[in-house]
Amino acid sequence: MDEWKPNPAVKPHKKRSWYLAWKYKLMNQRALRKLCQTGAVLFLLVTVIVNIKLILDTRRAAYEEEEESAQDYDDDMLNVEVPRHPVNNKKVLDVEVYSSRSKVYVAVDGTTVLEDEAREQGRGIHVIVLNQATGHVMAKRVFDTYSPHEDEAMVLFLNMVARGRILIFTIKDEGSFHLKETAKNVLKSLGSQVAPFLSWRDMWTFVGKKGGEVYGEKHAKSPALSTWGDPVLLKTEVHLTSVEDAECHWPDTELNRRRRRFCSKVEGYGSVCSCKDPTPIEFNPDPLKDNKVFDVPVAVIAGNRPNYLYRMLRSLLSAQGVNPQMITVFIDGYYEEPMDVVELFGLSGIQHTPISIKNARVSQHYKASLTATFNLFPDAKFAVVLEEDLDISVDFFSFLSQSIHLLEEDESLYCISAWNDQGYEHTAEDPSLLYRVETMPGLGWVLRKSLYKDELEPKWPTPEKLWDWDMWMRMPEQRKGRECIIPDISRSYHFGIVGLNMNGYFHEAYFKKHKFNTVPNVQLKNVESLRKDNYETEIHRLLGEAEVLDHSKNPCEDSFVPDTEGRVYVMFIRMEQEADFTTWTQLAKCLHIWDLDVRGNHKGLWRLFRKKNHFLVVGVPASPYSSKKPSSVTPIYMEPPAKEEGAVAVPAAEQT
Amino acid sequence: NGAAFSKLRGSQSGQDSTRWHVVRKFLGLISSHNIPVYLIDPLILGLVDKDIEQIRSSPDGPSPECKYFCAPRDFTTFALLDKTWKHEVGFFRSAEKMGFQWLKIINKDPRLDGMDDLSGMEIPLHYIFKLASHAIHLVVFYERSGNFLWHGPLRLKQHVDRKFVPFRKLHFGRYPGAYEKPELLLVSIDDLKVQIPKNPSSFLEEMSHSRFLECRYREARAFFQLYPDDASVDAVEFRKKAKSLLHLAALTLNNLGVKFWLSSGTCLGWYRQCNVIPHSKDVDLGIFIRDYKADIIPAFQKAGLPLKHKFGKVEDSLELSFQGEDDVKLDIFFFYEEDDHIWNGGTQAKSGKKFKYLFPKFTLCWTEFVELKVHVPCETLQYVEANYGPEWKVPVKTWDWKSSPSNVQDNGVWPIDEWDNVIQIY
Repeated sequence: MDEWKPNPAVKPHKKRSWYLAWKYKLMNQRALRKLCQTGAVLFLLVTVIVNIKLILDTRRAAYEEEEESAQDYDDDMLNVEVPRHPVNNKKVLDVEVYSSRSKVYVAVDGTTVLEDEAREQGRGIHVIVLNQATGHVMAKRVFDTYSPHEDEAMVLFLNMVARGRILIFTIKDEGSFHLKETAKNVLKSLGSQVAPFLSWRDMWTFVGKKGGEVYGEKHAKSPALSTWGDPVLLKTEVHLTSVEDAECHWPDTELNRRRRRFCSKVEGYGSVCSCKDPTPIEFNPDPLKDNKVFDVPVAVIAGNRPNYLYRMLRSLLSAQGVNPQMITVFIDGYYEEPMDVVELFGLSGIQHTPISIKNARVSQHYKASLTATFNLFPDAKFAVVLEEDLDISVDFFSFLSQSIHLLEEDESLYCISAWNDQGYEHTAEDPSLLYRVETMPGLGWVLRKSLYKDELEPKWPTPEKLWDWDMWMRMPEQRKGRECIIPDISRSYHFGIVGLNMNGYFHEAYFKKHKFNTVPNVQLKNVESLRKDNYETEIHRLLGEAEVLDHSKNPCEDSFVPDTEGRVYVMFIRMEQEADFTTWTQLAKCLHIWDLDVRGNHKGLWRLFRKKNHFLVVGVPASPYSSKKPSSVTPIYMEPPAKEEGAVAVPAAEQT
Repeated sequence: NGAAFSKLRGSQSGQDSTRWHVVRKFLGLISSHNIPVYLIDPLILGLVDKDIEQIRSSPDGPSPECKYFCAPRDFTTFALLDKTWKHEVGFFRSAEKMGFQWLKIINKDPRLDGMDDLSGMEIPLHYIFKLASHAIHLVVFYERSGNFLWHGPLRLKQHVDRKFVPFRKLHFGRYPGAYEKPELLLVSIDDLKVQIPKNPSSFLEEMSHSRFLECRYREARAFFQLYPDDASVDAVEFRKKAKSLLHLAALTLNNLGVKFWLSSGTCLGWYRQCNVIPHSKDVDLGIFIRDYKADIIPAFQKAGLPLKHKFGKVEDSLELSFQGEDDVKLDIFFFYEEDDHIWNGGTQAKSGKKFKYLFPKFTLCWTEFVELKVHVPCETLQYVEANYGPEWKVPVKTWDWKSSPSNVQDNGVWPIDEWDNVIQIY
């Protein structure tokens, strides 16, 4: 009754995840209903037998030592080898594929590997990749080809799948509206005869081997625009090949053993599994001289976006001065594929049982991950916190190594972050320049252990509070006036477009044009000037040297800043009191930088670049730097748009 | 020369050159992989300790006879700090090539066992390398919060060959253990270069009370399901203060070399919820009266904790109380051992009444609590039940120390003429 898994060589934690998946499945209404249909009695019998066997096995595994507490005894329950089906020697798989308006499913040898009957979800073409030797599910994707560009993603994915794999396709609801010629041709090249003619609300199923035979195809045309094609059910058989034929013949090294394990389990990672010329999984970047962050633990916070995690870890492991032994990936949930990615790179991974929902769940995952990080590395004074949807700059560790002593010595600092909220292609220029800002940017940052242990951990928002952890950390009760150090040019790049508060539009508008440093070994300029008092001296020096811009011009226009390079300019905007960001927000909008909330300020001062000139904005009279304003200059005031116009919903100002 | 040496020694009666050979091979293997192990075999360290002066003074001298590694034993024990090696697969390959059979004992990582459900990869706790009739037991030590080293218990899973070595005879693994980070010394004994703890006798002493108890995280989670944690500002503040007071007290007593354990409410907090009970309002420690030192009071005063009151006297019912930051109090109860029980005393200041709190006999174990390595009674349940009764699982906010404890007994009244001495309030 339990899930059929042809791969007998499963790791212990996988067994555990199987156990939990099975437990959750029991609690799942839909699954329960189905189980009832297919024979609750049989199920119960099997459960009883499995449990008796478990107990017997545990008894037999009685310890060498007599003094055992009940706790240890239970622990071993989880560790006991779960009895599995005998290795299936059958050479033929029965495959059933169903396509309809409201439901799709795929069953392999009677085991459901895909079932989607949720309303208003899962529209488009579902693709499943099976291992041709074991029948194991290697990838499951859905491409909503009713919507634009999804067909391109599907083509990209299909191209990455290795030859010889078994591909199963089925449409739910509608999959043809934005299915373009290119995509149709790819499907045709896989052997589909129907794909080129797929049209509005047709139902379609297809099973074939990539670069080989077709096992079956069924299609039902939609009779009219307003209705769907009849459901189709395809039943077919797939002949398995030998394991030998399904694997590449890489030289037998430790690295390739990891690669083989990975590539025989999952699909969709492209050249890492290429037989001829696989991309490396070990990077050996140059070490850093005098690396001050070599022993700082790195916590990578991940969910179930294994392709993102793959890209992220590649960039992290390629950064100079990285120490793979200090990296731990924290996966929010019992997901296997992210763990496979972690193991591919030989890193350690930790899974976290979901205990809450949405934002609160992310927040609880963060807390558990940070606590575990400081437990695993009790000597550490700091931790680097990264997320799975970040690219890491080649000089990320070099940047931290040069600045981390500030976090240790300057108590007025809250964090060091690799991200400049206002560092866009057109507003960031100098890779050696650092700022102090009153906001906490996140997206690749360093946390001081004492801050976490003494202040944050004890009062971290509890699961019932649906707060974003980063918003909470930005609140004055937590930040207590402390500042973060950031670079002008970010050392991380936020590439994720699928996330809790993230969508394509939002990413395009706010993240895509962010500047990202690609220069190795940047020597940071004047790091000592970032200390609390030194920074004031530095700002006064800068303002003293800055040329006041022509305040009669429109600051949104390009011509507001002269066509020079390397100069320092200052402008003054109206800012009645500390929290008055009316003009700043309008300015940020027209400069196409972050305007969803206030970021990057230091005592009413913002620093950025325009046309390769350093560009300072001072809020008058709230900023203590207002005294630098010549009396002849009137601060610029920009009016917010009328409320009615601003009624368009703006996505939540979220960073993660 | 090693072979010649062993030929010479091997012929002597009662000696076994197999062991010496296996240890030599093992040391060769680990040094070729740069794995820094050190010797913790109690039997050998015991012998070494007798000759320690001579061994220290001649780190390179040739040995006239095989004194240490030739006694016939089934195994020799070494320690490995987990963070000093990279778990290279190549190491095990080389071991196999040299003829070693090896066994790895893995289990859950206790450092992930906090209040959240994390499951990492299982970690290696013990390795056994067997060659011919001799085995090397390699104990893996992990750093834990509280600046100490921890090793896990040795528990065999199913399918493990129970006769691989005589597991019951192993010196490490019956219980998990906690140790200070040792200072090491490179010595040459029996012509083998090996690292040993710099002070073998104190290592052996430490080993004899190294047993470690993990907090009962699962039960603590269940407790918080029933009684959600107090997350108010006051509770957070109190916990923070209690934690720093406990850190200060531990530092002070450790410096004096006075052994102490978590007692009363602090012990209950550890046992029931793996945390400080936010409404407890003080920190409670126990000390055996035989460990009492007159320096205790001045040492605390020096640490910034003035004496608040002193009840009783060294001969009877001694109890000290120090004033921590903002109303958080540090209570130290001294425990008196009898043949079949242990007790501590209480005194009511205004009446001079004496009380006695009885506990069944207990021994001390290490645990980790608020980032500190501290002692708790190993028989914690009996200790907590004696103090709080069978209902200890239910939080109680009103507690009268004179009547609430289930182990309290009236113990007479202090004679008036002694009051000045046995009831001191500051």
